[in-house]
Amino acid sequence: MTRETIGVAIEGISKRYSHRVKGEVWAAREVRLDVAPGEFVTLLGPSGCGKTTTLRMVAGFEHPDEGRIRFGEQDVTGVPANRRGIGFVFQNYALFPHLSVAENVAYGLGVRGVPAAEIASRVAEVLGLVGLAGYEHQFSSQLSGGEQQRVALARAIVIRPRVLLFDEPLSNLDAKLRVQMRTEIRELQRRLAITTLYVTHDQEEAMAVSDRIAVMNQGSVVQEGSAQDLYHRPVNEFVATFVGRVNLLPGRITGLSEGGGSVAVLGTTVRVRAIPASVAVGDAVRLVLRPEAIGIAPAGGGPVAASVVSHAFLGEKIEYDLRCGDVPLHAVRYNAGPGIVMPDGATVALSLAEDALAVLPGSGS
Amino acid sequence: MTGHAVLRRDPAVAVAVVVLWLLLALFVVYPFATLLARVLVDRGSFSVEGLATVLTDRHQVRAFWNSLLLGVLVGVGGTIVGFLFAFTAARCRLPRWLLTVIDAAVLLPLVSPPFTTAIAMIFSFGPRGLITYELLGLKGATVYGLASTLASEVMTYFPIAYLTLRPLLAAIDSNVEGMALSLGASRWRVFRTVTLPLCVPGLANAFLLLFAASLADFATPLILAGNQFPVLPTQAYLQITGLFDLRGGAALSLVLLVPALAVFLLQRYWVSRRYYVTVTGKGAGQAPFDSVSPAIRAALLAACAFVALAILYFYVLLLYASLVVALGANHAFTLQHYRVIFTEGLKVIGDTLIIAGIAMPLGGLYGILLGYLVTKKSFPGRRTMEVVSMVNYALPGTIVGIAYLIAFNDPPIELAGTALLIIACYVFRYGPTGIRATIALLQQIDKSLEEASQGLGAGTGTTFRRITLPLILPAFFAGLGVVFIRSMTAISATIFLVSLSWSLITVKILENMTELSLGPAAAFSVLVVVIVFVVIAIIGRLLRVFRAPGAAQVTSMLGG
Repeated sequence: MTRETIGVAIEGISKRYSHRVKGEVWAAREVRLDVAPGEFVTLLGPSGCGKTTTLRMVAGFEHPDEGRIRFGEQDVTGVPANRRGIGFVFQNYALFPHLSVAENVAYGLGVRGVPAAEIASRVAEVLGLVGLAGYEHQFSSQLSGGEQQRVALARAIVIRPRVLLFDEPLSNLDAKLRVQMRTEIRELQRRLAITTLYVTHDQEEAMAVSDRIAVMNQGSVVQEGSAQDLYHRPVNEFVATFVGRVNLLPGRITGLSEGGGSVAVLGTTVRVRAIPASVAVGDAVRLVLRPEAIGIAPAGGGPVAASVVSHAFLGEKIEYDLRCGDVPLHAVRYNAGPGIVMPDGATVALSLAEDALAVLPGSGS
Repeated sequence: MTGHAVLRRDPAVAVAVVVLWLLLALFVVYPFATLLARVLVDRGSFSVEGLATVLTDRHQVRAFWNSLLLGVLVGVGGTIVGFLFAFTAARCRLPRWLLTVIDAAVLLPLVSPPFTTAIAMIFSFGPRGLITYELLGLKGATVYGLASTLASEVMTYFPIAYLTLRPLLAAIDSNVEGMALSLGASRWRVFRTVTLPLCVPGLANAFLLLFAASLADFATPLILAGNQFPVLPTQAYLQITGLFDLRGGAALSLVLLVPALAVFLLQRYWVSRRYYVTVTGKGAGQAPFDSVSPAIRAALLAACAFVALAILYFYVLLLYASLVVALGANHAFTLQHYRVIFTEGLKVIGDTLIIAGIAMPLGGLYGILLGYLVTKKSFPGRRTMEVVSMVNYALPGTIVGIAYLIAFNDPPIELAGTALLIIACYVFRYGPTGIRATIALLQQIDKSLEEASQGLGAGTGTTFRRITLPLILPAFFAGLGVVFIRSMTAISATIFLVSLSWSLITVKILENMTELSLGPAAAFSVLVVVIVFVVIAIIGRLLRVFRAPGAAQVTSMLGG
């Protein structure tokens, strides 16, 4: 595609609303984020965290009270949405109900004064790209949810936008289609190398599509990094619990060394590599223990004893609710073959995978 | 389960259905059939002679074309003004108080007696009018004719277009417009290529409603059209009251039926299927961006303010005219006109209030009963009942009035001149608003609500009382409101039904106008506006008190 690839810089943008009951509310608070040229970055967070507001400010639908937004070298903070050169995909698709599929896709090209012959060829090309060749004359009311989503996508990319923006694009689809569409979106974005900002509340979806994820909470970005960074080295309890499932166990630092330290937890001591610089020996901390990092063996096979409270056999994996003393634990084991399921009430020995552990400072609330 | 089985199991429903059918037969089918018979049957055999006489009279043919011309112009003009207001209200991010002002300005013409703008037009632009004579110094200005009738009808009926278009504009998904903007379209292009096309069915609907309203309007042309611009409803009236030619009047009113029916069919089978946007009464939220530029916003507001001020000026003028000796001649303050209407006019005020007071609860009850039965019960002839119940509502008032006059003037059913006939006319002509509201509300109530109640052990009676009734109560009040307001303000049908013993304020206003006692006419009009506003306020309060939280809102208490 002809357009140069540029990055997006969100430089400390804020948006305040006055709320009838709560008074002044920060919808977004000094949000800072860089999206490199061609990068796929996701804003992830629960509803009301400010991710959609941030996206809409990047689009130009809303205007920040403070801060700047740059597309490449250009400051677009005061530029209206129709001159930013963006492609936007809405959650509800927002297809023009009075126009056919081809007319929907052609709309942005018509606005740009592209000659009719070129419009026809580009519309045909992009509809082929999203797998909708032959749908030109259908109307949105005749399409399924997935097809509508593809039209919305085609309409956004056909104008060769500088930045592609997605607002929860898959929320209205059923689970299976959601997985299929997110793969298609990812492949399309890679192929076209369009700088992309994507909003979702679904952490699995975020991990599947993104180069990098920015987790937002209460209007601010609390952590950004790759899916693995967020999962294995969360900076606080919010990120630890929002991204994936987790056991947060109270513990105490017993020693620190080069590249790690030891933590007393569950009546034993474990080595942890990811220890924040702020903690000292003797500090109360919380151990971030992912369910799949707990190894389960028959009783006597390890240092930590626990009992099985209940379990669920889910085919490819088995989920356990365990109790270790008075600490409840959630564990997941992959099904390695028949006959390895621990029955309810069984006493088992636990082992913790040291590579997968992390520590959060403080004892929490 | 067949309809018959339901009736056997539920005798109360059976009784209600039979009674309703008898009433519909008597007050809808019978009068209309008599009207047709009077026009099309001559000495016991079918004859089109009566119609032919009318259709070949050059004067009447002109009245027909005039009616159509006026209807088209009012349709176009009223739709434009209505859209202007609706768009401003829906897209300009107005503060609350300004929206209230717009709603009030729009409400005023809807609830006024039919002559109000016409009277104000004469006061302003007549030979001794405030604007033409006093302000501009024109001598012998003529206010009568197409222009003044058109202006007056647009002013009176544009709120119908507003009420049709505003929910439509509010229901357009703001993301769709945002999408067009993000694809690079300018605001004007978004409006031209997205907003306006999505409104086309609504605009067509508004046009048809206004066309029908103008076609049926009797009062405005009677006052303003004059001899140079005869239209059908006034010709039919003059044929009957002036020439005592009942058959000719009936034939004329039937000619009116053709365009009225065409509008009805177009609306039902063409417009209603072309809506892209589902109006649920729930707005799609704020516009995603400033959809109008500050300059356009100011221009729109100025245009709305101009119309609103014109409306306000008309009403202030009316009030002023009721408080001075003779507007245009002697501007000394006096309460004389009010003294007149509360002495000589007292009987007619009492008559009107009694008739409206009786018609109101009957009409409200009729509305929810029929609406409930045709939506929730199955019985033979259910669809037919729904259609028949709409007939008097859809027909121009002139047709209904003449039909009632012909049907109930002579035995076997002699009701002419009685209050009962006027009340029946109002109930069956304006009760359908309540029917429509009830059906609309019931269709929004999910069947699972009633099933959930039954699943919790409640019987049919309890379920109706505790679940269904509270949810359709707004429709009852809407029905009450419309029947009362129209009983106070309507004239086109009932002018044929008044007598020495029972008369109506609107008819009295007309008499005053023709006798050129404009002061009392203005005083009567002010009185009607005040009464109607008080009643609307009370009903509005009741609606707020009784509306179950979360129950769907009745889109418009005054629509139609």
